[in-house]
Amino acid sequence: MKKWQIFKQGVLQELPLQLGVFPFGIIYGVMAIESGLTFLQALLMSSIIFGGASQIAFVQLLSNSTPYGVIVTTVGAINSRHLLYSISMVEYLNKLSLSWRVTLAYLLTDEAYAVSIRKFINHSDKSILHYHLLGSGITLFLSWQISTLLGVWLGNDLPEFLDLQFIIPLTFIAIIIPMIKSKSTLITVISSGISALIFKNLDINFWIILSGLTGILAGMASSRWDKKS
Amino acid sequence: MIWSLIILCGVITFLIRFIPLSGIFSSDLPLSLKHTFKYIPLAVLTPIIVNDLSIIENNNFFLIENFKLYAALIAIIVAIIWNNVLATISIGMASFLILSNI
Repeated sequence: MKKWQIFKQGVLQELPLQLGVFPFGIIYGVMAIESGLTFLQALLMSSIIFGGASQIAFVQLLSNSTPYGVIVTTVGAINSRHLLYSISMVEYLNKLSLSWRVTLAYLLTDEAYAVSIRKFINHSDKSILHYHLLGSGITLFLSWQISTLLGVWLGNDLPEFLDLQFIIPLTFIAIIIPMIKSKSTLITVISSGISALIFKNLDINFWIILSGLTGILAGMASSRWDKKS
Repeated sequence: MIWSLIILCGVITFLIRFIPLSGIFSSDLPLSLKHTFKYIPLAVLTPIIVNDLSIIENNNFFLIENFKLYAALIAIIVAIIWNNVLATISIGMASFLILSNI
């Protein structure tokens, strides 16, 4: 496969997810304006932070006059899961130049990661795989900027397509189910899922990464039950 | 002040995504550690899915009329049988729309 083909595949595989991402971006844009941000602040936050859930939390907290320290901590807590994404990408991306690594780190969000890690795991030629993440990442970036712009522009007229966001968890289901290939991976899914219910309801800021770490530890602990391949 | 807040959040978010790729840490990780990386997508994406299904709302289990939960279960079955992203999304979404409009 050529670089261009891999890039195009990243773009194409990322496209269906935009049905869920796009409404999310519009909602963020609307909420950002309602929270009192200026047009430019609302718009540029999408490229400066570029992290959907954390931006929504940012503007929600801001409209409740939350202290700035709490906003920064919350954004960091929500995005802390990307640290794990980045760690799992090291073996595929560590040979790249600094500018490549900076660009791909910037583009490393949930939806791009989910699509590209699937490709990375199932592909043996590591040398041009990064074009896949570039393709999925740029697609998501553009869609996020355009939908933000639309939301900011719409202002208070919140359109009724909230349900389309359900496409995002459906996509993640489609991606993780084929990765469950052993007892330990199944245990990872169950334990991180249950932990998420518990930690989220205890109102812990770091609930995603705590649940993630619980899942990873449970997977490691149970790996001895896997059949040796 | 808002600008510096946005930029600070941006810098923190970028660093979270970049630090492991920065090369500060040795790339020759022990094999046992690399082995655990396969759990990362599962361990992080599952909590996001679970949260999006709103299984607990206002400290109560929300199961009976939770159409997202039913649609997700259908999507899981589709994913197991066909292992196809588009089929999983479209059948899952169609199930959700049908269930919530009956």
